[in-house]
Amino acid sequence: MPADFDPPTIDFEQLVQPHRVHRRLYTDPQIFGLEMTRVFAASWCYVGHESEIPEPGDYRTTTLGLRPVLMTRGRDGGINVLLNRCAHRGTVVAGEERGCAKRFVCPYHGWTYSPDGRLVAIPFPADHPAQDYSTLSLGRLEAASYRGFVFATLNADPEPLDCWLGEAREALDTIIDRHPGGEIAVMGSPQLLEFAGNWKLSWDNAADGLHATFAHHSYNTLGETVDVETVLARDPGSTPMVSKALRNGHMVVDQRPGIPQGPWATMRDVPFREPLESTLADAGAAELLDLATGSMLNLSLFPNLIFVGNQLLVVEPVAVDRTRLQLWLTSAPGAPPEIDLLRLRVDEDFVNFGTPDDLDMFERVQRGLSIPEMEWIDMSRGLPDDSTADGSVYGPITSEAPQRRYLAHYAELMTTPAKTRAL
Amino acid sequence: MTVAAAIPPEGPSPEASSDQAAVLARYDELGELLAGMDDRPPADPELWGPASAALLHEARLLDAGRFEDWLCGWTDDAVLWVPLSSPAHPGTDQSLLLDDRRRLAERVEWRRDPSAWGQQPPSRTVRIVGGVEAWPAPGGLVTRSTLLIDEHRHGRRQQLAGCQIHELVGDGLRRRTKILVVPALGTGVRNPSFLL
Repeated sequence: MPADFDPPTIDFEQLVQPHRVHRRLYTDPQIFGLEMTRVFAASWCYVGHESEIPEPGDYRTTTLGLRPVLMTRGRDGGINVLLNRCAHRGTVVAGEERGCAKRFVCPYHGWTYSPDGRLVAIPFPADHPAQDYSTLSLGRLEAASYRGFVFATLNADPEPLDCWLGEAREALDTIIDRHPGGEIAVMGSPQLLEFAGNWKLSWDNAADGLHATFAHHSYNTLGETVDVETVLARDPGSTPMVSKALRNGHMVVDQRPGIPQGPWATMRDVPFREPLESTLADAGAAELLDLATGSMLNLSLFPNLIFVGNQLLVVEPVAVDRTRLQLWLTSAPGAPPEIDLLRLRVDEDFVNFGTPDDLDMFERVQRGLSIPEMEWIDMSRGLPDDSTADGSVYGPITSEAPQRRYLAHYAELMTTPAKTRAL
Repeated sequence: MTVAAAIPPEGPSPEASSDQAAVLARYDELGELLAGMDDRPPADPELWGPASAALLHEARLLDAGRFEDWLCGWTDDAVLWVPLSSPAHPGTDQSLLLDDRRRLAERVEWRRDPSAWGQQPPSRTVRIVGGVEAWPAPGGLVTRSTLLIDEHRHGRRQQLAGCQIHELVGDGLRRRTKILVVPALGTGVRNPSFLL
C-alpha cells in the first residue's frame, strides 16, 4: 500500500529553498495531512519512557501523527507500541491516559486483547467465522528503545534506531549520563500547552539561539533583578555556545561553553531553594546542584522530541494551525531527594516566565503567515553552511543552519514518501 | 568528578535536615488540604459571609489588574499552588506553578513588564466565584469555592473552570494558601499565564 493516497503533486523543493521557505508549509491543510504520514509515520517518533510503565500490564496512550497509540509492557516484560484501534469496528480500545490492565477489552463489542496486542477472545465466537485470531491483532508499530527512551515507527523499512539517532546519540548519552548511575525517569503527569500555530513553529524555535535575546527579554530582566545572569541573558553574538545541525533533522544547542561556572550559577531564586540547597551543602554534596537544573545541552530529535531543561518537550500536531506541547519532567532516581524536589520548582520557572513568550510568538507568526501576498520566510542567517563530511553543520547559536537543515530533511521526506504499514 | 563520585559514601542526608523537613512539611500540608477537601463535613454557614467577601475581593482585584494590591493580601509564608491534577503532591508531581511570596512578587513584576510577551497585551478576565464553603481552621478559616474564568486576549477567548481552596488567616483574612485546581490543565490549555 502506498504511504498515502495523495499523489505527490506538491513541489517541496520549490517550497523549501536553501535560504527561504514558503508560508504554505505552515498554513496548508493538505500539506499537514501528508506530514502526518510522510514525516510522523515514516520517522522514528518518541512515544514514552520505559520508567512510565514499570510493571507488566502498565500502559500509556499517546498519538503518533494523529494516530491513537498505546505503549504497553507485556507479560514478558517487553515493550509494545500498538495502534489503539480495535480490529473489529475501529473503536479506540484504551480510553485512559495510563493504567495497568491484564487485558484490553473493547468497550463496544467486547473484543479482548492481551497487552502485547494479540486478540485473545471474541464474545459469542460461534457466530464469528474467524478461525485464526492472529490476523485480528491490534496494529503494531516497529518499536525500539535507546537507554529507556522508546521510539516507534510505521516505516516499512526503517533505518535502525541507533543509526537514525546517529551523531545525536552523543548528546543523548551526555544528558542521560549526568544522572547518577545513568538512571533517568519520567514523572507522571505532563504539562499540556496548546498554541494556535503549526507544529513546525516549535521546531523552528528549538535551536534558535537568537530569539532568547528578544522574545525572552522579560525573563532575562527578571533574572537581573536578583543579580543572576540567566543563561539566556548572554550576548548571542559573542557567546562561545555552539549550535549543531545533524543528520535526519536532529539539532543540538550546546550552551555549556558559555557557562564555565556551571548551570546552577545561572538559576534564579526558585521557591524553597535555600533550605534544599543548604541541606545538600551540609551533606557535602553541593556539586550535585547542577543536576537540579538542565544539562544546558538542548537536543532536538526530529520530529517530536526536544530535551530542554530537565523536561522532555514532545511536539504533538493537532491541526495545521494547532499544536499541543507535552512537557514531561524527568527525575534523577539515583540522586539525593533534594535534587528532584528542586527540579520541580526549577522547571516551573521558565515554563511560567519564558514559555508564554514562545507561545505568543508562535501564534503571532501563524497570524502573520496567513497573509497570502507575503509568501516567504527568510532563513538565510549564517549562510553559507559549512558542512562536515557526514552533512552536519556546526556554527554559532545565531546561525539558522539548524532550521535550514531540518527543513531540508523534511523536504526529502515529503518528496520521496517512505512506504508505511502496521505490523 | 563524575556525579556519582560526588555523592558521599554515607549518602547525602540519611536524616532529613530540619531545613528540608520544613519544606516537606509544607508540601504535605498542601497535599493533604487538597486530598481531604471532598471529605469535609457541611460548611459553617456563619463563615460564609466573611469568606465570600474575601474571595470576591480577590477576584475583583485580579480582574481589575490590581496585582500590587492583590500581592498585599498574602502572608509572608504564602504559597500559591496550581497542580496539574487532583489529588497531587507538590513534592512528587509536576505542577503548573508553586509560588512562594518571593515568586509571587516576581510574577507581579513580570505582569508589569512591557516585554513580557506572554501577557502583552494582557489578558482581560472575568472571574465568577460560586459555591463558597468555609470551615474554621487554626488562625482563620479554610474555604472551597468554584471558579469560572473567562479570558480574552488577542481576539481569542477561552473559559476555564475549576475549584479553589483558600486558607485565610488573621483578622484581615490574608491568604496563606491558595490551591487552584483546573481540570482542563490535564488536557491542554492555551497560554495559561493569566491563571492566578
